[in-house]
Parts: sequence; structure tokens; C-alpha cells
Amino acid sequence: MKILIVEDDELLREMLARKLIEKSYIIETAEDGEIGLSAMRVFKPDLVLLDLIMPKKSGFQVLEEMQTDELLRKIPVIIISNSGQPVELEKAKQLGVLDWIIKTEFNPSEVVEKVMTLEKQLFLK
Amino acid sequence: MENDKQKTIFETKPLIGADETIKEAKWKDEEFRKIRLAFMNILEDTEAARQEAIREKAQTLAIINNIPNGIIVLDKDNKIELVNPLAESFLKSKKDELMGKNIFKISSPDLDLIPFYKVIKNGKKDKIKYGLRREIVMGGNKFLEVSAVPLEISEQDKKTLIIIYDVSRDKLIESMKTEFVSIAAHQLRTPLSAIKWTISMLLNGDVGKLTPEQQELLEKTYESNERMISLINDLLNVTRIEEGRFLYKPAPTHLELLTETAIQNAEDLLKIKKIKLDYKKPKRVLPQILADQEKVGLVIQNLLENAIKYTPEEGTIQISLGQEKNNILFKIKDSGVGIPQDQQNRIFTKFFRGSNVMRLETDGSGLGLYTAKNIIDAHKGKIWFESQEGQGTTFYFTLPIMPKDKNKTA
Repeated sequence: MKILIVEDDELLREMLARKLIEKSYIIETAEDGEIGLSAMRVFKPDLVLLDLIMPKKSGFQVLEEMQTDELLRKIPVIIISNSGQPVELEKAKQLGVLDWIIKTEFNPSEVVEKVMTLEKQLFLK
Repeated sequence: MENDKQKTIFETKPLIGADETIKEAKWKDEEFRKIRLAFMNILEDTEAARQEAIREKAQTLAIINNIPNGIIVLDKDNKIELVNPLAESFLKSKKDELMGKNIFKISSPDLDLIPFYKVIKNGKKDKIKYGLRREIVMGGNKFLEVSAVPLEISEQDKKTLIIIYDVSRDKLIESMKTEFVSIAAHQLRTPLSAIKWTISMLLNGDVGKLTPEQQELLEKTYESNERMISLINDLLNVTRIEEGRFLYKPAPTHLELLTETAIQNAEDLLKIKKIKLDYKKPKRVLPQILADQEKVGLVIQNLLENAIKYTPEEGTIQISLGQEKNNILFKIKDSGVGIPQDQQNRIFTKFFRGSNVMRLETDGSGLGLYTAKNIIDAHKGKIWFESQEGQGTTFYFTLPIMPKDKNKTA
């Protein structure tokens, strides 16, 4: 499975990538929303892990643009963010987000576990 | 004028005798003088009353015109009887175009009047005479709150009062606050996530095996970091609760489920302190409540975590649920340190922490119970406690059972 990580914090991005590579996922990373969007078009990931507050284009802007694109719209997205207010969750749900991870609530290995359970669900579908 | 009147009398009355005529004339004259005076008085009073009425009308109109809300009054046929300048500007029409016109027939090209009409139609129907208040967008980025209230002047004269408030500013502040909380959460949590993730990878042995000493030090660091994270979570919760003290999406809920989830989440904590938790699940399913599940869950979590935190090792905690009249009663009893008598009245205030627990455990923000009270209040419930220092504390809260009719539609 191909996963794209869009996260501006280098440390978190690298750690997450490392953890997922260990589980033999194919990983691509992007450090802002704009690079994230173009990476999606080239890399064609099966799953996107998306941060919200990022330079150039925010996670919500990315989601909105994905919605307008026939191909990108179908890619499942998990938000990895530090915020998680109900208003934001609702907005994300409307934009077709699968799940939401608040970074301080999870360890990287728990994030990996979440990805793995999600992979099973997607596979079953 | 006086002479004219006298003349008339002389002409219409036949002459009987000069003396009598003069006497009668004098008497009549006197009589007329009195009548005239009384009449003048009445006229004066009427004039004064008229002036007063004009003055009052002008004053009322001035008030209506200067009130910072749009005001429209409709007569019984929905024709516009009164409209103030702000209402004109909300409807983007001039007064002359509006007066006397049926409100449902006014037109304005750049306004969507359908939501506005809905409020009026439903507000008019309101039997309890409270009317209806709704937030709508008519055009552009103006958020309006429209109230339509039936105005019964008399049995035959039933008018409708429409009040329009501009809530765009409140909306703007609301969204600024959301943005602020979001950024604050991000800025405060980002370094903490980085620390958490790094330490957990080190502890996991992802970058090489650690010596027992290194392991222990890092575990402690990890704990400190976790404490900081939960502190910030508490702070963010408070901001969110205070952000209008409103409930986000109340839904029909079984309190049992929320309780059981909270218990499951606390299992690790209970194990660590070897605390026995006795959960008395009600024998039959309790009626549903209308609740914001996330927030009520937070209340139970806070109460349970407090109970665990302030109960010594191998203590006991009892949780029970039950129905009491029109409420669901939640009860949690611990065998903990209790709350000192002299501090019991401050327990639900922001940043309060009991003096005995400050000595016991250093972490805790003093926001948990404050948040809990706010949430229960917003659900129109009650929260209270009984406590004896050294013996333990029992916290109770009640939440109103959802009315039956809502049960069906849900």
C-alpha cells in the first residue's frame, strides 16, 4: 500500500515515515499542502495522512481541492493534527475524511496500528 | 361671537315681559358663560392630550427608528404597517416601496427571502405567543437573527412584530475564537507531540537498546510530558466550553454507554493503583437523555479520574446509575481523601484545587470540575457532592430524561 504523509514538522514526518516503512509500506512525504497536492497526482497514494496547519496550503484547502478533482476525491484521508475542535471535525467529515488523529494522543506505533486496521477495512471493501 | 349667540336667543324666544326677558337673558348668559368655559376646558384638555399623543408618537417612532435592530410591524393581512430604517437596509428597499405592501410579495433581486418568510410564517402560528427566533442568511455575508412574534392588540386586531438583529459580528468573533483555539492548540501541542513521539520511539528501542537507567529516566520524562499534554487538553476544553457554553449536537443517548466507555478507558489507571471498581449497572435499560455525548463523556471521565487520583491504593470506587422522577441520576463514590469542609463551596470554581490534594499529587489543573459543572448546567442538569475529609467523596449529577415526543422523531 502506498501512503503519502503531508506534514510540515520534519521530525514528526520522518518518524512516521520510518515507522511505516518498517511495516513495508511504500511512503512518500510532502512538507506543505501545495507539494502534497502535486505529490498526490504523481504518486497516486492509497492513503493520505494529512496535517492541517501547514505553510502554503492548509490541510482544509488541500481537502477542498481534492474534492474538486475526480481522481483525488477517491483517495482516503486521515487527518493528523494537534487541533480537533468539533467544528473542525464536522467540516472534515463533510469533506470526506475517514479518521482524525490528535498527535499528542497517539504514539507513532499507535498511528501505525490505526493505519493497519484501516488498511484491512479498505481491503475488505 | 358672544353677541351673535345672544341675538339668536332673542330672536327665537318670544317676548313675554321685558323684566323676565332680561332676567332670563342674564341667566342664560351666565349659563352660556359656564358652558363656554367648560367647553374651552375640554378643548384645552383635548388639545393637550393631542399634543401629548403627538409627542408620544414621535418619541415612540424616534425610539423605533433609532433602535439598533430592524423592526417591522405587519397588520392582520401581512401588510407592512411600520418599518424602521435598519429594517429597510436589511431588506434593501426604501420605506415608500415597503409601506402597505404584503411582506410576502416584496422583492429584492439580491436577497434570498425564503428563510426570512419561513420564520415569519412559523412565528405567526406560535400559540404560546413567544414567537420564533432563527438565525438566517439573506444575502452576502450578513448573518441575521430574525424573531417573529404575534402581537395581539385586540381580538380582531392581530399583528405581527418582526425584529431583525445583525449577528454578523458575533459570528465573526466566534470564528476568530475557533481559529485562535486551533492555532493555540497547534502551537502548544506541536512541540509536545515531537517530544512524545521521540521518547516513545527511544523507549521502544527503535534506535537501539537502552540501559535500564536510561530507560527509567526516559520513562519519567515521558510521564512529565504526558502531564503537560493533559494540562493543555484541560485548558482547551475550558476554552471550548466557554465558547458560548453551547452544546454541540445533542443526540438521544444512553448514559450507561457513556459510563461504560469511560470505565473502559480508565482500566489501566485502575490497575496501576489496584483500585476495585464496582459498577452497578441498572437492571433494566434507562430512558434516553438528550446529550452532547463527547461532553457528557468528558464529565464522567473527569469524575472517574478524580476518584482514582484521590483514592489511595487498593481503595474502592462505586458507580451507579438510576432513574429519579424525570431525571437520570449518576453517582460515583470513592474512598479517597475527601474535600476539606472549609473549601467545599469553591469546588466548582475555575483553577480550584483542594489544599489536601495539592500536597498529595502535584499535577492537575483545577479545571476538571469547573468544566464538568459547565457541561451539566448546559444540559439543564444538576451536579453536587457529599464529602468528608479522610473518608471519601460522592459526586452526583442528574440529567433530564428526553421528552417522549422527541423520542419518536429521533
